[in-house]
Amino acid sequence: MAITGARQKAAVQALKASDWHLEGAFDVFYSQPQSKTHTDSRHLEELYNRYKDPYLDMIMADGIARLCNDLQVDPQDIVMLVVSWHMKAATMCEFSKQEFVGGLQSLGIDSLEKFQERIPFMRSELKDEQKFREIYTFSFGWAKEKGQKSLALDTAIGMWQLLFAEKHWPLVDHWCQFLQARHNKAISRDTWSQLLEFTRTVDSGLANYDAEGAWPYLIDEFVDYLNENGVGADGFSRTIGA
Amino acid sequence: MTSHLKEISKSIEAAQGESFLEELNRKWNDHNKALQMIRDILMYMDRTYIPSNHKTPVHELGLNLWRDNIIHSSKIQSRLLNTLLELVHRERTGEVIDRGLMRNIIKMLMDLGSAVYQEDFEKHFLEVSAEFYKVESQKFIECCDCGEYLKKAEKRLNEEIERVTHYLDAKSEIKITSVVEKEMIANHMPRLVHMENSGLVNMLLDDKYEDLGRMYNLFRRVPNGLLTIREVMTSHLRETGKQLVTDPERLKDPVEFVQRLLDEKDKYDSIINKAFSNDKTFQNALTNSFEYFINLNARSPEFISLFVDDKLRKGLKGVSEEDVEIILDKVMMLFRYLQEKDVFEKYYKQHLAKRLLSGKTVSDDAERSLIVKLKTECGYQFTSKLEGMFTDMKTSQDTMQGFYASHPELGEGPTLVVQVLTTGSWPTQPSSTCNLPSEMSALCEKFRSYYLGTHTGRRLSWQTNMGNADMKATFGKGQKHELNVSTYQMCVLMLFNNAERLNYKEIEQATEIPAPELKRCLQSMACVKGKNVLRKEPMSKDIGEEDAFFVNDKFSSKFYKVKIGTVVAQKESEPEKQETRQRVEEDRKPQIEAALVRIMKSRRVLDHNNLISEVTKQLQQRFLPNPTEIKKRIESLIERDFLERDNVDRKLYRYLA
Repeated sequence: MAITGARQKAAVQALKASDWHLEGAFDVFYSQPQSKTHTDSRHLEELYNRYKDPYLDMIMADGIARLCNDLQVDPQDIVMLVVSWHMKAATMCEFSKQEFVGGLQSLGIDSLEKFQERIPFMRSELKDEQKFREIYTFSFGWAKEKGQKSLALDTAIGMWQLLFAEKHWPLVDHWCQFLQARHNKAISRDTWSQLLEFTRTVDSGLANYDAEGAWPYLIDEFVDYLNENGVGADGFSRTIGA
Repeated sequence: MTSHLKEISKSIEAAQGESFLEELNRKWNDHNKALQMIRDILMYMDRTYIPSNHKTPVHELGLNLWRDNIIHSSKIQSRLLNTLLELVHRERTGEVIDRGLMRNIIKMLMDLGSAVYQEDFEKHFLEVSAEFYKVESQKFIECCDCGEYLKKAEKRLNEEIERVTHYLDAKSEIKITSVVEKEMIANHMPRLVHMENSGLVNMLLDDKYEDLGRMYNLFRRVPNGLLTIREVMTSHLRETGKQLVTDPERLKDPVEFVQRLLDEKDKYDSIINKAFSNDKTFQNALTNSFEYFINLNARSPEFISLFVDDKLRKGLKGVSEEDVEIILDKVMMLFRYLQEKDVFEKYYKQHLAKRLLSGKTVSDDAERSLIVKLKTECGYQFTSKLEGMFTDMKTSQDTMQGFYASHPELGEGPTLVVQVLTTGSWPTQPSSTCNLPSEMSALCEKFRSYYLGTHTGRRLSWQTNMGNADMKATFGKGQKHELNVSTYQMCVLMLFNNAERLNYKEIEQATEIPAPELKRCLQSMACVKGKNVLRKEPMSKDIGEEDAFFVNDKFSSKFYKVKIGTVVAQKESEPEKQETRQRVEEDRKPQIEAALVRIMKSRRVLDHNNLISEVTKQLQQRFLPNPTEIKKRIESLIERDFLERDNVDRKLYRYLA
């Protein structure tokens, strides 16, 4: 109880579920839906007001920067993306009150200290394959402009570099270079989601790339680009000429 | 009897040389007669005792005894065989032999039972024949050319068939012919077909119908014979065709190009008809080959359209109706081979528009007949716009009548003929500026108000780049001519009614015709021999901004009517070709999308590869879609929420209602 901040009932449940083994109990506790944890809504309200924009009922970029500062986290840190995901935020660089409060509640956070404590956990979520997929898919809608169907190229490249630094994809730099050299247009949702499949299915030597595999056209072009530039056997090979 | 027969055997053995067979024959006849008599005498025993005691009947017994004691006697058996084979050999080398005797002896063997015939004669006969023909075929092939060899082979084959009818068992025919076929034909097929200077390819080139027919008839008897011929013919045809369509010399004249294709087709149709007895597999091979090489040249659709254009403008002048049909049918055949039928459609429309507007078609019936053929081949959609063009022409005539009927005062002035074109049906042209001379513009306005009076809600825009004019001109020395010019040319010429000299800039300003067209127009009137109604200073070929123009008072022509207009359909220049190709590609995109939506709507769920092949199948009547383009269209449809990918299997697409 002291470590997790859980209530007695939840703690007992977790211990029971893991046959009274302490470490197992931690696993059980943390994998439970977080809504079971109690948060103080008054504290949350205060927290929200601390960061909200003076003119709008939203936390805007400014507020977010201050929040990050207080958390001692870089605003560009990918953990902020995970936070946004938990909040089901509609667009980057802003949180509505509902998003902010609802998200933190689900994480069991009602103070900065608790927030800081949860950060390692949120980082670890990126390692989970399924969650990473959800976060990745979420990012598309989150990063694009409101009202647009596609994601601007620069933003997409930024996102990809952020995401795939975390879950390493050897070809991410080649991909971004390719896009800048050859594509110069916005990225569609289909391309975005199919790219993740591509990183998961096709190895970096392109050995198992199937040309008939219904990959989006852009990805086919990327493969051609790689072949042209001699990226073959090991994926880490020669640098691509400017 | 046995001992008696042994005696006989001795006497036969003793027979020398020639008389061996005769002796045998004679004794055999005697034996038969005797046997018959014995059988008659012992008939009662034959019928009662023998069956119930399972003994051999008399006649049969007699035959068996003959067989065992005479035919199989050690001294006679081999001698008999060798003699027979010797005689056959002699006959094959051209000697005349006693066929009657042969027949009798062979019949004797047959009577003794088919086992005897086969074992004691036929088997060896076939072996020896094989050997004989092996040697002979080798000899022939060294010294004969293909045609001669085939003649010899045919002769031998016929000889053997004849031999069988004369003195062998009918069942032997198929066996001996197989031997000949194998030795003379099958074993040498590749060498014959590829023989230099006389092989199949040469026969095809020289239309040697008789030789080809003979080859066909002989080769069809052996396994893969026809296949061999077909393969060689196909690869030769493809090679020839490929050279035809990629030869830069040929490409200079589209009409020639197409004519050569038609000639080639005629040639092979003839060959297949006369020599290959209209064999369907050969016809198919012909079709496949044509389909292959005609599409190697991306300009084939354009050229075929130009060919048709040429025919319909002048080529078919004075040709009878039936012959017209024949030519059009042949053109349709080439059309069927095209992969990119939509490209043809685009060019055909352009060329048809020019023909209709300049009134240059030689036969309305021929035009319509071709449209009907295209409709039958490709469906209503293909030709509906073309038909719309014809309708517009007809309607315009009626409109003109109505116009002049309601404006009788215009009878005196210049005659205006307007064709009102429905925008969707005619090839799209960007309309450009052009200031008409005042006489004409007033008239045009009158027409516009007349037309819009009866057709409210429509919009008319003058297509000055597509019109023409007939003008009466009087030159410096009084020579009068009637000039047929394009509308642009007319505008330029009319300026000279009010000015002696005009420079380029002034002309440009007054007419507002776009520069490239204006330059072309001036060039055609000032720089072309026989059509130089204008004089230019300086006399260079190109039009410079500072050039000055005058009426050429010294203009002369043999003809009263001089045609200077430039509305003839021509082979497109490189940039024009690119433009047309681009437009065709653009037009294909919605067609691919429509096919995709159609297919997905009915199938609901379909995987990637099947979707691509379905779309290709649906569209192949018009063109062969590029799989990459199809993919792009699929992605576009996903983007627009017509389709989605399945959650589990990313290669599966689902239709979103």
